[in-house]
Amino acid sequence: MRVFTRKRNEAIVIGDGIEVRVLRVGRDGVRLGIVAPTEVAVHRGEIYAAVCAANRSAASTSAVEATGLVERVRAHLPSSSAALAPRGA
Amino acid sequence: MTAAAAPVTPVTPRTDAPDVPAADIVTIPDGLPGFERCRRFVVMSSPELEPLARVEGLDDERPSFLALDPRLALPDYDTVLSPADRQRLAVDDHDALLWLAIVRLEDTRLVVNLRAPIVINPRLMIGRQIVPADSPYSTHHELPMD
Repeated sequence: MRVFTRKRNEAIVIGDGIEVRVLRVGRDGVRLGIVAPTEVAVHRGEIYAAVCAANRSAASTSAVEATGLVERVRAHLPSSSAALAPRGA
Repeated sequence: MTAAAAPVTPVTPRTDAPDVPAADIVTIPDGLPGFERCRRFVVMSSPELEPLARVEGLDDERPSFLALDPRLALPDYDTVLSPADRQRLAVDDHDALLWLAIVRLEDTRLVVNLRAPIVINPRLMIGRQIVPADSPYSTHHELPMD
């Protein structure tokens, strides 16, 4: 891991076009501004980790077991996707 | 006298998904968080899973997911695509997008990730699991059951 000491308004540049700038340093946290090309997704680490964990868990869900539970949730869901208007962009 | 060389058996290239027509394949260029190397998926429905769908990965570990339209889990569900995601999915104003929230089994409950749905542009058959910076929704929404 690369470690840098930065003051307010100082930045780190990563590769071509990614900049991480310290906007504010407070007692409870550091506010960062990120500039990145649109093809680079930027996420809060803990949210990305939660999505990874949810996906890993979902992929290991047993289809047979889940199918049994679908019977039990179906009655609580709107009857069919036909009831849903297509969602525009 | 030499034995005849063993005939060379033609090796049939392993096709990833022999029964999936190319037109049915959704490409997710970045993969999904946790499964970044799986880029091609197919969305399938079946009567026993209705209204859920199955999202099958065709690459790498071939992850398979259950999913449903997030509006079935929460009728007033409303997540807006960021400009960057609109651009990544090449969305134009006429595109009707397919939204699929991934479902998983936790203990004996079906739990939906409403925080990070997969959004597919059916016109181009490209998709992406969006992770909005701010969202009122949880990665852990339990579906009600009897």
